Amino acid sequence: MTDTLKSICDQCTHLRNPHFDFIPSNSTRHREILVRDLQELLSAAAAENEKTVVILAGSILEGVLYSLIQGQSGYISQRRGTFEFNPDHSLQNYLSIFNKWLNHLTPSVVLPDSVVYYRDLVHINHEINSPHGVCAGASREMLRILDALLGGLSELTIPLSPGTSPGT
Amino acid sequence: MADVARLNLTERGAEARLRSLMEDLIEAYAGNRPGYHLSLAVWFGKSVSSDLQHLLLLYSGPRLNHFVPDTVPLLWKTGSQGPPLVEVSATSVEHFSDLLASGANEVARFFEAPEILHFDKAFLSETILKTLNIVTEPPGLIKGWYVDADQAKTKTVKELLSSWGDSRPQVGLVKTWESPDSENCRGLIHFETNQRWVPLSLVGLRNFTFFNDLQAGKPGFLLFRGGSFYQVLKFEEKTAPGYSNLVLQRSSDDRYPEVYLRSVYPSEKPAL
Repeated sequence: MTDTLKSICDQCTHLRNPHFDFIPSNSTRHREILVRDLQELLSAAAAENEKTVVILAGSILEGVLYSLIQGQSGYISQRRGTFEFNPDHSLQNYLSIFNKWLNHLTPSVVLPDSVVYYRDLVHINHEINSPHGVCAGASREMLRILDALLGGLSELTIPLSPGTSPGT
Repeated sequence: MADVARLNLTERGAEARLRSLMEDLIEAYAGNRPGYHLSLAVWFGKSVSSDLQHLLLLYSGPRLNHFVPDTVPLLWKTGSQGPPLVEVSATSVEHFSDLLASGANEVARFFEAPEILHFDKAFLSETILKTLNIVTEPPGLIKGWYVDADQAKTKTVKELLSSWGDSRPQVGLVKTWESPDSENCRGLIHFETNQRWVPLSLVGLRNFTFFNDLQAGKPGFLLFRGGSFYQVLKFEEKTAPGYSNLVLQRSSDDRYPEVYLRSVYPSEKPAL
């Protein structure tokens, strides 16, 4: 028997005490939505609702990447040459942008393509074409991945000491 | 030397900006053909200083039997109609595959200084991937799924394969050692990110159930395509510079978590 969702959440300190310092201060609505959704995620996990956890964790993951990429558009533009944030992009697009342009800032964060596959279980045809019990593993991985992402981003916003530069 | 370095930086900066504008153009093309899925975009005949750039687009969907030409200003977003311009050649994946198979001269120009700016490997043939040198997995990679003890107790390998076999693989393995009787092996666990299979770091392993189950003392198994079935025994992190030859993405400190596996293939009987 694998870990319960509740016991995983108990170990996930960043899910329970999230820091959203990476969200620009004028994006209060983004923050409110993510705080609410995280609370609902913890409730769903406490009730061992695996499918709900998969879908909601995917939605929060998209919200975190959306807010991060929007807030870091200038930085990405500097690195890439040009960059314009597209609010209509998909989770797969945001994941690719994060992995290509921002992941070096949070090297401990691993975002596999499977999170998109799991989030897409919201569509019944995706779940029909997946093995029975896919949500059991997916929900546990999504919780841990989301916790690691929030943890990585909370370290990203720690103010740098004078004389140090990003990446040192 | 300093001047040369500065020149290179300027050129690289110009190329990076050009690349980002080409990618933005591709993004626009990706959404403007209903019923078609943009599967490949190749920037070919690349010359950063030229006022004319070249782009090959391959679509999946209804077959096109010819190349559809288009010429667009690279700075279309600003409303500019002038150079630099991009000459676009678009066709279907099927048509392009047929041309490749027939060795047609028509396609030769697409392989001059090509740079892949977008691809979706699920829609491309092995021939196209190989011809354009799009490498998404290391040699010897086998793909499969994690099976926990509860499932392993109640199902045969055949049943597990019939349940998981058509679904997206969760893990990959590149073997680093195998016993002569094939009973035991060691290897590097891989995962898929941005369509490429790369090795998991020790930190990355912590997200996955197979690692956490093992840490909690719960038996776990890996089922691979073809029916290989292994029990996960342990993970050990090693400094192994030689392993960089086995993977697509080298670890920055040459440290790799190696998994130890034992074959438990029980033929048609229940897995445990």
